[in-house]
Amino acid sequence: MDWGGWAVFGLVATTGLTAVMIAAQLGGRTRLDLPLMLGTITTEDPDRARVAGFGIHLAIGQVFALFYAAGFAALGRSGWWLGALFGLAHAAIALTVLVPLLPGVHPHMASERAGLGSTAVLEPPGLFALNYGTATPLVAVGAHVAYGAVLGLFLGSH
Amino acid sequence: MTARQIPIGDYGLIGDTRSAGLVAPDGSIDWWCAPRFDDAPIFGRLVGGDAAGWFAIGPNEAASLSGRAYRPDTVTLTTTWSVAGGELELADSLVAEVEGRFLPATVLVRQLTARGGTVRAHFHLAPRFGYDRQPPRRVGRRASAVVCEGHDLAIAVTSDGPIIETERSVAFEVHPTKPVTIVVTAARRSMLILVPPALANAEIARDEAGWRAWAAGIEAADYRTEVVRSLMTLRLLTYSPSGAPVAAPTTSLPERIGGGRNWDYRYAWPRDASIGIAAFLASGKPREARGFLAWLLHASRLSRPHLPVLFTLDGRPGGAERELGGWPGYASSRPVRVGNGAARQHQLDGYGWVVDAAWLLTDAGHRLYGETWRAVAAFADHVAATWRTPDAGIWEKRAEPAHHVHSKLMAWLALDRAARIAAVRGDRRSRRTQGWTAARDALAGDIRSRGFDPVQGAYTAAYGSTELDAAVLVLPVLGFEPASSPRVLSTVDAIRQRLSAGGPLLYRYPPGTDGLAGGEGAFLPCSFWLVQALARTGRTDEAVALFEELRVLGGPLGLYGEEMDPVTGAHLGNYPQALTHAALVQASLSLTGATTHGGHD
Repeated sequence: MDWGGWAVFGLVATTGLTAVMIAAQLGGRTRLDLPLMLGTITTEDPDRARVAGFGIHLAIGQVFALFYAAGFAALGRSGWWLGALFGLAHAAIALTVLVPLLPGVHPHMASERAGLGSTAVLEPPGLFALNYGTATPLVAVGAHVAYGAVLGLFLGSH
Repeated sequence: MTARQIPIGDYGLIGDTRSAGLVAPDGSIDWWCAPRFDDAPIFGRLVGGDAAGWFAIGPNEAASLSGRAYRPDTVTLTTTWSVAGGELELADSLVAEVEGRFLPATVLVRQLTARGGTVRAHFHLAPRFGYDRQPPRRVGRRASAVVCEGHDLAIAVTSDGPIIETERSVAFEVHPTKPVTIVVTAARRSMLILVPPALANAEIARDEAGWRAWAAGIEAADYRTEVVRSLMTLRLLTYSPSGAPVAAPTTSLPERIGGGRNWDYRYAWPRDASIGIAAFLASGKPREARGFLAWLLHASRLSRPHLPVLFTLDGRPGGAERELGGWPGYASSRPVRVGNGAARQHQLDGYGWVVDAAWLLTDAGHRLYGETWRAVAAFADHVAATWRTPDAGIWEKRAEPAHHVHSKLMAWLALDRAARIAAVRGDRRSRRTQGWTAARDALAGDIRSRGFDPVQGAYTAAYGSTELDAAVLVLPVLGFEPASSPRVLSTVDAIRQRLSAGGPLLYRYPPGTDGLAGGEGAFLPCSFWLVQALARTGRTDEAVALFEELRVLGGPLGLYGEEMDPVTGAHLGNYPQALTHAALVQASLSLTGATTHGGHD
């Protein structure tokens, strides 16, 4: 497996994914704020949470890059298009499995079953994270496809 | 439906130092731009008609308004109605202190409390998004909240009483043992944080304690009620993320009902910031004073030594002015504008206000940072090089530049105060300082020879003009001439007489001379400047009498607009106005120590 490529380009691809998500957020396409969402697992201060969340997302991206690298090695081939396909699958899993699971484990996110609690909570993502704006699934797919394409382009298959 | 026309002065201000809303006596929030002062209104029917949205809460049975007040030394506004067998109180507030905690930046809390029996109430929530006044694009439920989305903004509404619905009046009951709270949070391009009503109420209580502690630090022996409310208003109108003081939280409230003098004041003027520095400093709030100066210097960093007329909340030059088509305006006063065209003007007076503010801090024993001093000195250099050029003047008349006497006086002030600061810093004899003093003396001679009309016995509005300008009332405060000099005394008298709008009111300049169609009201800050001028020239009794007249002209909640209709006493212009409140504080402080009265609270 391409360990050197994983170490470097996993970071590059995740940074790119985060940048796409933040750009879409600032452009008013989605309200999904990944650094805030992840960071508030560790701290209540939204400003600090964004810093922590960025670090957490980099770490998660690096872990996922490991699976991409393993996939390329298992198939014995790589390329931007294969990476993009992986990214598409990754986005589908994120939107249908990972994000909907968040309210169950996130200490500061409302679940659809929550009532009038005593603490402030982040709004829950809903199906395909559509609660954060109708373009959210498209943005997520685009960002993950870009992530996969970068990995596919730069990671070796050996 | 007939057009709604609540008197401007009847609105109450609520705010969180990032956004501000205006609450009508009937419990309707008719203006709320959020999450920032300069955002499009979520509730905007104040100038946008019903199509621009509102959020009404009030009794749903026969009722009469029995009281409106701020809870003492806080910014929580209460509105009370008498109903058969009891009363209903509405408490409105925005949570100001959210830093470092898991709370959204924008939390509007409206709590209804019944006394004496169960009261039938109703609410009507109609949020709008963007200057095109779009209804929510999507309305959905998330856990305990109703979420409305439009453009790049989303609001979440939670309640511990009625089920939230939008675009229709919802009736419900309030029981004496169970107040009802409705909370609105907002997020732009970010995820909403949903706040349950119980937590929101706790946050308001926490905020109120914070405001009371803040008010306790205000040093004001006389007219304390007015001074505290004015300083709280100034603080509410200071955009905390950057420190920018907005001139007013509204746009296009008319300077004349039905007229076209409708401007966007949701910007920060260096002049206002400087006057605010003086007001806060003299009231025992040096932290706020330093904050304003820090903002001024930060905002002007890219344009120095040129000082723009106004800035956005982020310190950028003001946006292009445009008219909002289809917005009916307050009492049919069109057009409704966003952006401010004055941003492109050259105003010489701004430098004087800023350098004087730096001097006030220095004089109070605060040492300026090196960076601050370099910026102030650069402004003084700029004034020394450009004071001979005509400018647009303080009133931002949309006319040809002229040699405005007030601007020249403020230029003189900039040079004089810069030289004073240099002296304190042990730099009195440097070539730069001597250059300022030489320019100052030349400018003084120029003003005395070209700006004074011996026939009227007064300094005029501009060189070669016979018109007067109420801004020149700052003359006794500057030290340009001794306050007791005949020229100063006669100028104050002439302005008071010729620009009188009746009673304690003054026009800022003779009506009909600004090149705009229609007239305008009396300019309230000028009346407070007159108080200050009278006090400084030793006519303390007249100053006190004038202030007493002015203090009752405020709205029912002690708030002042920019102008006042001399006939009806109605507040006009954007509201509440930071400049008026800062001038009120300065006027009241000018009376402190100069009077022997003891009956004020």
